Amino acid sequence: MFPTNNVSRRQVLRSATAVIALPLLESFGFRRYARAAAAAAPPKRLVFLGFGWGVTEESWYPGKNTPGADYVLPAGLRPLERHKADFSIVQGLRNKFSVEGHAGSTWWLTGANPYAQAGQSYCNTISADQVAADEFGRYTRFASLPLNHSEINDQSGHGPGLSLAWDASGKPIGGENGPLAAYHRMFSKDSVPLEQRQQLIAQKRSVLDTVLENARSLKRGLGQNDNEKLDEYFDSIRNIETRLSKDEKWLDRPRPDAPLGEPNSTLSGRDEIKVMYDLIVAAFQTDSTRVITYRQPVATLLKSLGNSTAPHDMSHYHSTRGEKLVCSQLRDQTQSALLAGLIDKLKATQETDGSSLFDHIALAYGSNIRTGHDLTNCPTIVTGRGAGVKLGENIVVAKDTPLCNAWLTMLQGIGVPAERHGDSTGVIPELQS
Amino acid sequence: MMKPLLTTYLFAALFFGSGSVSATELPIVAIEQNQFTILEKHCTDCHSGTDAEAGFRVDNLSLTIDDKLSATRWQKVLNALNSGEMPPEEEPAIDKAEKANFLEHLANKMVDARRLLADQKGEITMRRLNRREYRNTLRELLGVQANVSELPGDTGTGAFDTVGSNLYMSSTQFEQYIALGRESLNEAFDRQAAAGVEKKTRFETEEITPKVAKFIEYQVDAKARAENWIKEVDKAVADPANAAAIEEIRAGPLGKHRDILYRNWKKLKGAPAPETFGFQTEEDNADKALAASRPFHLPYHRYYMEQPAIATGAYLAASSEHPSVLDNATINMLVPWGWPVGDYVVRFRIAATEHATPDRRFIEFGINPRLQQAISVHEVTGTMDEPQVIEIPLKFTRANAERANRSLYLREKGTRDDWEQATRVAREGRDENNGIGRKFALWVDWMEIERVPNVEQPPGVAALNQLPLDDKSPEPKDADLRAAFQQFAVEAFRGDEPTPAYLDQLVEIYHSYRQLGQKPSDSLKDTLAIVLASPMFLYHSEPSDPNQPRQLTDRELANRLSYFLWGSPPDRPLQDLADAGELQDRQVLDQQVTRLLNDPRADDFVDAFTYQWLGLERLDFFQVNKNHHPRFDNSTRMDACREIYETVGRLLKNDGSLNELLESDQIVINGVLANYYGIDGVHGDFYRPVTVPADSPRGGLLGMAAVHLMGSNGDTSNPIERGVWVLRKLLHDPPPPAPANVPQLARLSGKPLTTEQRLTAHQEEPQCASCHRKIDPIGFGLENFDAVGIWRTEDSYQALDDNGKPVADGKVTWTINPAGKLHKGPTFENYLQLRSVIAAQNDAFARGFTEALIQYALGRPIGFTDATLIEDVMKQGKRKDYAIRSFVRAVVHSTEFHTK
Repeated sequence: MFPTNNVSRRQVLRSATAVIALPLLESFGFRRYARAAAAAAPPKRLVFLGFGWGVTEESWYPGKNTPGADYVLPAGLRPLERHKADFSIVQGLRNKFSVEGHAGSTWWLTGANPYAQAGQSYCNTISADQVAADEFGRYTRFASLPLNHSEINDQSGHGPGLSLAWDASGKPIGGENGPLAAYHRMFSKDSVPLEQRQQLIAQKRSVLDTVLENARSLKRGLGQNDNEKLDEYFDSIRNIETRLSKDEKWLDRPRPDAPLGEPNSTLSGRDEIKVMYDLIVAAFQTDSTRVITYRQPVATLLKSLGNSTAPHDMSHYHSTRGEKLVCSQLRDQTQSALLAGLIDKLKATQETDGSSLFDHIALAYGSNIRTGHDLTNCPTIVTGRGAGVKLGENIVVAKDTPLCNAWLTMLQGIGVPAERHGDSTGVIPELQS
Repeated sequence: MMKPLLTTYLFAALFFGSGSVSATELPIVAIEQNQFTILEKHCTDCHSGTDAEAGFRVDNLSLTIDDKLSATRWQKVLNALNSGEMPPEEEPAIDKAEKANFLEHLANKMVDARRLLADQKGEITMRRLNRREYRNTLRELLGVQANVSELPGDTGTGAFDTVGSNLYMSSTQFEQYIALGRESLNEAFDRQAAAGVEKKTRFETEEITPKVAKFIEYQVDAKARAENWIKEVDKAVADPANAAAIEEIRAGPLGKHRDILYRNWKKLKGAPAPETFGFQTEEDNADKALAASRPFHLPYHRYYMEQPAIATGAYLAASSEHPSVLDNATINMLVPWGWPVGDYVVRFRIAATEHATPDRRFIEFGINPRLQQAISVHEVTGTMDEPQVIEIPLKFTRANAERANRSLYLREKGTRDDWEQATRVAREGRDENNGIGRKFALWVDWMEIERVPNVEQPPGVAALNQLPLDDKSPEPKDADLRAAFQQFAVEAFRGDEPTPAYLDQLVEIYHSYRQLGQKPSDSLKDTLAIVLASPMFLYHSEPSDPNQPRQLTDRELANRLSYFLWGSPPDRPLQDLADAGELQDRQVLDQQVTRLLNDPRADDFVDAFTYQWLGLERLDFFQVNKNHHPRFDNSTRMDACREIYETVGRLLKNDGSLNELLESDQIVINGVLANYYGIDGVHGDFYRPVTVPADSPRGGLLGMAAVHLMGSNGDTSNPIERGVWVLRKLLHDPPPPAPANVPQLARLSGKPLTTEQRLTAHQEEPQCASCHRKIDPIGFGLENFDAVGIWRTEDSYQALDDNGKPVADGKVTWTINPAGKLHKGPTFENYLQLRSVIAAQNDAFARGFTEALIQYALGRPIGFTDATLIEDVMKQGKRKDYAIRSFVRAVVHSTEFHTK
């Protein structure tokens, strides 16, 4: 006879079905830091997937005159056919401050005015994922996982930044560049004994104390602007301290077993995205984080498809069309197929209560650039049942509705008590089911 | 009360007389009234009063753009007009020419307004070392070459990489500094441990010859075995008992393939297994036998054995097209295992054979033969009678530890950039040589590597001389540790003293690493890595006087100067002058500027400044289509890009005139480029000035292949990019950023039109015309240069359909017509005239250079407040006929450069 505790239920699940095994941690009172209410239901998760150079406008958007569920899926989205009832495309969104036709991601999740700060050539504010990370980050080993492509220097039209994520002071947050780095961050086992790891943390603290001592002596005599500059250094150290405190809390809990093998270090382009999507699922399965962004490669994607068209050239297919248009459409279809694969996995991955990961996720996929230099009607797909967003529809909202309204709708949908984000003017009722 | 105030003011005015520091007056950015009338005419009917359409009022728009709000509102107007959204279709359209003029006016005013709002009013924000300075500073401190490519780049924001307000810090970056510092210390310790080691070994390349002979033997033998097997299978095929089986095979997939019966030998009664004939691999051995029966490369290998000098050296062959075939396209040499890091010299003795046509006299040297890009390319002038020895310095580091990275190679230029090129070269070689294989152009006698002892001890390592750097010596005393940390920190902090508390903490940390079980040397390195991630190392700090700008101290000035002209810290002589208080002396400072610019470290200034000033990031954007441009191989490209830097560097060395970059009868090239450009009599690897005839298109930036590469996509020329670059960088008249949301032109796709016809369509729409009427004529005037800078008189275009397939009758060929007229400017008949028209604007060019130089040197964006400074520097430059060093000197002597 099976005992009736959680552990055995998990074992039953594992032995009786082919579903992906749940993490061991789920069942060992793992949530003792979580609020009591949150322990009952599987947690909410948020994902943003961004690509740089927009899409092929002719073959990616459904007709604006066929809003609602009864619309024809255009060629660029056809690989998503099997999930048609489970995602919505939102048309009419834009970031009103974005006037830079070459930066597909810098302000995508922030909606910031690049020129808001005097004395800087551009600036930014916090991104939507980090707003969620502030709320959910305390429950997991990683407050968020900003993932980035493995291209050396961005050639994928993303613009300034290190990932899609920007911190509370509008500074870029470094991402894990490529699947191997992301894998090691999440799953690399610590073989060092606990006591020694505690000593190591203490050691790291004294390293930080030492550089802070140096920073304080440097601070004397600095002018106001320079002090603000040095504050970035203090902030960086403080962030590490916060992380150390968190590490300390997590010290006695081993990293979860990886539900997948170590990715090959040579992955690039299509394979890289595919494995990164697998890692996103793995991160949620193991509850390593609840907030993920991924700044996807486009340049290496094209290369991996055997396409030699330069990515920026491709994004300007409009006047010559020809091979550039072909390339652009191939990009759309490949990206859609990859997204469809991710949705498959999210649906197939079960939570403790028998629901699927897909039921608890809110995912947005898109770019700040529609096509060429066009920054209106930014390509936006939302999916996942986690935020109570209406799925299965071609949702046409009022022209130039702030993208941040969509982000706010998602944030509130997953339970982040945000009242506004970026240049938002409110939630989008049409998006709520 | 009046008097002291006045005195202060006078003092300030005297001291800060020339510069912007005292000039607080900002210009006013305003839309001109006569331009505004167009909005009044077309917009105010709907967009005025409290019930304005969409809540947007035009009637109360302020003409002055002086804050965020007004800039945002005007940006809205610009967006609405650019996107064609306004005026609405049912309303009268704006006259095209009027609209184009208005958009040009507004777009430029917006650029001005952004600059005005971003004006730092002369204040220089403290900055951290940028990626380049960080690398150079570690090099000067520890004698190592850190791999900084993992650090975030500093040039992505559009500002110079010295502009502090754009150089951020993050926790990730802090951790990268710790890791990079630690690895640099590993390298420095390893170098120090091997300081006196001397090593030398030589590879006699004739060792390759018996390998070729043996491979021929193998091929002959395998062929015989394969033929015997085939004979046996043939017998089985002829056996009537197999008729049905054969019929079945023939009816199957690939039934007509010539080898189909051999590949299906198992179905034939009496046919023996290829394994019994010695073909025993884990793959399909029938295929192996069939391949062995047709030894494709055998004639080429036999041809090799007929060459006259195989007993004493080796010839460089064409790449073979299959990895299983003996490949002598490269000569490889492994740096022996166990040889330490340090400074090495690679030498080889080489000759060009009788088959070395001018294009085939170049050899590439590189690490890791599988990599496409060589490290350097060298012209071979030695002959078989008199071979030459080429010598290449090589830094061998911990990054070279792996086998692939310690494998050095030589190969003929342009033979293995990529697979496609390699097979094309091999194919062409066979076609030219009776199907045998490419003739041999280069012969190598031997190759050798030598480690030379360290020349001098870098200051960061010297600071540790009292400490044991290994783990065998007794533990250092605390007092020695503390003293060494102090000395190391002062070196790292460019002369600044750390606090006693800081040093105490370092000593404590060293001990706690020891307690954690680390070895003494590792504990030492971990502790020193903290110094290399401390703010006093990472930041250029200059305390401020809260009341007024102050003059820099001598030390601060020395820092600014050496980071300006070297991108690295002041050396001992400069520090000594600063400590003696002599550096502020105008004459001394002048001497130091001269000394610094003559030092090889100034190469960093030339490269980094030129890259950013001229916006060269497009140099690396594109893969060149080598089928269309076979001569522009990777090495040629590398040297063509160098041409830009070498030319600027040469001007700087000789104090030449900036005008030379616009129009010149001298170019700065080496043997590779002379061959590429078709210029006779220039041989060797060093860049030197060469005079070209007056009618040559070469001379000045616009004659350089790499500049045209930037104005292309690697395959076809891009007149728009070229026009924009000329406006931005040469004429100092940058068009506003590409506007968002302009309707795209699609109606021309699939049509056989010339480049000019396709692009001129831009000018139909006023949104486009406002900029393209300025951009396009310049681009068209440069159409005589193809995508890789080769002169041409004809071009063609093949239209493609939406599936990327050529359209029937879609090809058009035309003679290039470079004649044109600049917007509101002079006409020109051809490229040379266009070049002169541009060269006549040398004042504008010098202004662009001046502004760039100021931003780079001061580490802040140029502002409207800098008008006086710019004028001053320009004036001094012009007085010396635009001599490049006079601009540098003027910036160094400016009040701004001496002021915090």
